[in-house]
Amino acid sequence: MAAASAAALLVAGCGGGGPQSGGDSKLTGDKIVLGVLNDQSGAYSELSGRNSVKAVEMAIADFKAKHGDDAVTKDITVETADHQNKPDVANSKAQEMIDRKGVDAILDVPTSSAALKVADVAKEKKKLYFNIGAATTDLTGKSCNKYTFHYAYDTYMLAHGTGTVTTEQVGKNWYILYPNYAFGQDMEKSFSAAIGAAGGQVVGKDGAPFPNTSGDYSSFLLKAPTLNPKPQVLGTMQAGAELVNVVKQYNEFKLRDKGVGLAVGLMFITDIHSLTPAALAGTTYTDAWYWNFDRQNREWADRFQSETGTRPSFAHAANYSAAMQYLEAVQAAGTDDADAVVKQLEGKEVNDLFLRNGKIRAEDHRVVHDAYLAQVKPQAEVTEPWDYVKILKTIPAAEAFRAPSADCKL
Amino acid sequence: MSGFLQNTFNGLVGGAFYALLALGLAVIFGMLRVVNFAHGAFYMLGAFGAYVLLAEAGVPFWAALVIMPLALGLLGMVLERAVIHRLTRLDPLYNFLLTFGLTLILQDLVKSRYGVQSSPYATPDELSGTVDFGLFDFPTYRVFILAFTVLLCGAVWWVLGRTRIGMVVRAATERPELTRAFGIDVGKWVTPVFGFGIALAGLAGVLAAPMRAVNPLMGADLIIVVFAVVVIGGLGSIFGSVAAGFGIGLIQAWGEAYLSDYPLVSQTVVFVVMAVVLLWRPAGLFGREEAPA
Amino acid sequence: MTERTELREGREGMPGQHGMTSAVDTPVEKPAPRSGLLAVARAPGWVRYALLAAGLLVALWLPNGLYPAVAVDILCWALFAVSVDLLLGFTGLMSFGHAAFWGTSAYLTGLVAIHAGLPFPAAVLAGALGAALLALPIGYLAVKRTGIYFAMVTLAFAQMVYYVANEWRSVTQGENGLQGVPRAFFGADLTDDYYFYYAILPIVLLGLFAAWRIVHSPFGRVLVGIRDNPARARALGYPVHRYKLTAFVLSGFLAGLGGGLFAVGHRFVSLDVLHWTTSGKAVIVVVLGGIGTLWGGVLGAALVVRLEDWLSFSGFEAIGLVTGGIFVLVVLLFRRGVWGTVAHLARRRAAMRRDRSG
Repeated sequence: MAAASAAALLVAGCGGGGPQSGGDSKLTGDKIVLGVLNDQSGAYSELSGRNSVKAVEMAIADFKAKHGDDAVTKDITVETADHQNKPDVANSKAQEMIDRKGVDAILDVPTSSAALKVADVAKEKKKLYFNIGAATTDLTGKSCNKYTFHYAYDTYMLAHGTGTVTTEQVGKNWYILYPNYAFGQDMEKSFSAAIGAAGGQVVGKDGAPFPNTSGDYSSFLLKAPTLNPKPQVLGTMQAGAELVNVVKQYNEFKLRDKGVGLAVGLMFITDIHSLTPAALAGTTYTDAWYWNFDRQNREWADRFQSETGTRPSFAHAANYSAAMQYLEAVQAAGTDDADAVVKQLEGKEVNDLFLRNGKIRAEDHRVVHDAYLAQVKPQAEVTEPWDYVKILKTIPAAEAFRAPSADCKL
Repeated sequence: MSGFLQNTFNGLVGGAFYALLALGLAVIFGMLRVVNFAHGAFYMLGAFGAYVLLAEAGVPFWAALVIMPLALGLLGMVLERAVIHRLTRLDPLYNFLLTFGLTLILQDLVKSRYGVQSSPYATPDELSGTVDFGLFDFPTYRVFILAFTVLLCGAVWWVLGRTRIGMVVRAATERPELTRAFGIDVGKWVTPVFGFGIALAGLAGVLAAPMRAVNPLMGADLIIVVFAVVVIGGLGSIFGSVAAGFGIGLIQAWGEAYLSDYPLVSQTVVFVVMAVVLLWRPAGLFGREEAPA
Repeated sequence: MTERTELREGREGMPGQHGMTSAVDTPVEKPAPRSGLLAVARAPGWVRYALLAAGLLVALWLPNGLYPAVAVDILCWALFAVSVDLLLGFTGLMSFGHAAFWGTSAYLTGLVAIHAGLPFPAAVLAGALGAALLALPIGYLAVKRTGIYFAMVTLAFAQMVYYVANEWRSVTQGENGLQGVPRAFFGADLTDDYYFYYAILPIVLLGLFAAWRIVHSPFGRVLVGIRDNPARARALGYPVHRYKLTAFVLSGFLAGLGGGLFAVGHRFVSLDVLHWTTSGKAVIVVVLGGIGTLWGGVLGAALVVRLEDWLSFSGFEAIGLVTGGIFVLVVLLFRRGVWGTVAHLARRRAAMRRDRSG
């Protein structure tokens, strides 16, 4: 160990480059800089935010430990910025990261408008962008490009898993409530398609105003049980604070007692934490990754907890994985030249902490992997903090995501 | 029919929050000529306070319903003495700006301590059932909110109408020059009235905790709607603010229920009404016309 | 001669009767020049030219010292702030809904640039004209009110515009934002923000010059007269509403100019440009720089944009705490704003020197 680090010091002393590249490194500035650009002060700051920076730092440490002296470089750092959920800020920060901070790859970027904008920046500056935080399928559709990869979830994955399995296992008749904007409409369409394909039917659907300043959903919740035929499942596509409002009022109107179950389009473990499992018991949703799924996840979650004091969401794990896969690709390519790294990534089949049966599709840069249909446990079965769900079904990678879209021309 | 009644009931419940917030804004404006931008932040503090009391000290909802308005009313009085008071002799826009800045500070203070994720707050057990009204049933908690708000507004009405404090406040609110001309010392009532307005916002916040998402930004967009409500009712008009609160709540609920294909209607109706009222009856539906500018 | 650079302080016991205004003893016929700039205007010639030259030099140097995209933002916000100050400082009307004009122009500019493929200055001009057109009906209704009521009316209209843009997805792309706004300019490659900055600098300077001309024209002096004593201005036969409306539309145009450039600068438009917090930020910028100082708005824009840029990289999460704290301090202690305070101190020193020598 001591000898290794002494050797590393010697090598570093000679030219600053890694052993593979010797004196003339193929890395710009002899180093790799990862940029985590996300919401660190607003609505998404807890499910990703600064803890994703920690996750990326963990990936760097693991990468260095794995490759030791063979690593393409030992100088790997993280830059981070808060885009405050404002797409114009995301735009400036993404450019500034690349131009001024020497960032080689940008990670995360929640909210669709910001993500689409950063994908543009990546294309123009020819730097890599791994989207994790945004769900729009446009990133692998009409707005796809050579330098953008879509990790983690998207609207198709969320809708397809929950719509199909819930129809098969809980009930065939659905009432869908969605926030009336791009994300919600997208989700409603995907859900309706999945429900229909699984033999169910949507007996009613309503778009709630977005943003909903009054915070009230009672007119929709009152309507649901009166529909004919009566829906067995209420599918809500609201997210974040709006989801919290819907669920609180769902419980107020006792819809579960009236035989209307709840399925949620998009939910993070942080949402369950804030609503408490008691308020959500029995609710189904699709998760991209769950910290207590198996031993590998759990061990990583323990490490993560010792670093951050909290359990990881799937976004944290996906940031870790994306950083790792990028570094591995640079290692394999021996350069941080974006085109060479893209070539390494395209078509690669991976199994890691986050990607199970994962594959980085060359056609549209969708990163496919297993997804999970989760159900919130009743309060009585919750034995430790943050262990709120049981996995009903693993949705195989091949089924979890949509086929490559014809709209995407890389 | 039962659907219509239910939606009407919901409109009144939503309106109850507007009414409580608007009432506080109206008495503050009446007494100090201050449009308190931070009113939404105090509503948020009320809800958050209830959460913190329950989560960290085990204090139940009923106690929070008393403690939070008192604590926030006190905080409001301190703020009034410390900063707002210094600006009341200047153009009222300065206090509007000051309270706007205070809002940013209060939101961020809560955010940096408790994060942005909504905090859990369960409906108290005693109120978690439903009440059967024959034609329809309705969550007990909502019935409670409506009854509580109506009683409270009635009590405020009685205090203002029948007590000496009330007369001073009403006179100072509705006829400020005349009141001063009579030599009534309005000054000593300014701080308590400000505190009272803030207490009402805190109370609305506690009431909202079990049925709305409790997070640092919960008051940010709401306050813009409440501004519209008080302007419609008449800035400084006590009865007007309450009436407009319930009225806007009803219109929004009906809009959402029967015009759900036209979300623009329920989203903008309050601002359209506000603009029309301001131009047609500048002092609001129930306000007294001010001396012309 | 009295010199005032901040809002009139209301008479004791009669706060807020006319919003920004209160009785002032300056005759309207011969209005005293009031902007902070005029402190400079009355300064010796060499001071004036030196300041102007220094300002231009800073503007020319800016993208070399700052990240160019940030410098572009500063230019856009400078126009926005000056447009708000034109109303707040020189007409006595606080618009809390100016995002309506900034944002409408941003969307129009983006749509024109995308669908008509015009060079960006033409698209921006179209956007700004559209904003001015929107300002006409809104202003017509709003200028009937003063003070806090004016602020509320403008806020209400801005909210309506916001919700319309939010719902009109086929045109605005709703939450996803209007992506891919081109920066066409007769085949010149302006993708680099460094060059783009210099491409828009003349437009911004032209806009600022226009604001300066407006303030110092006879029209501008009547506006100040109306601000200080509307009753007297009316008695003197000035059509007060029409003057205010003209100022409102001009202000809408300038805000639109800034918003259009902002859209081209970011090459996309999101709903944020219409949100009420954007209106609030514009007011913060003006108050920080100095109400009624015109150039204070430019300075305020530079400070706020730079501060936010720094904060988002600082790892400090409580951005509102800092901006809100600074804002509260300014409102409580330095109501003249940065520019106003400096101008005030400079004037006082000059006056002291005069006293000594006289």
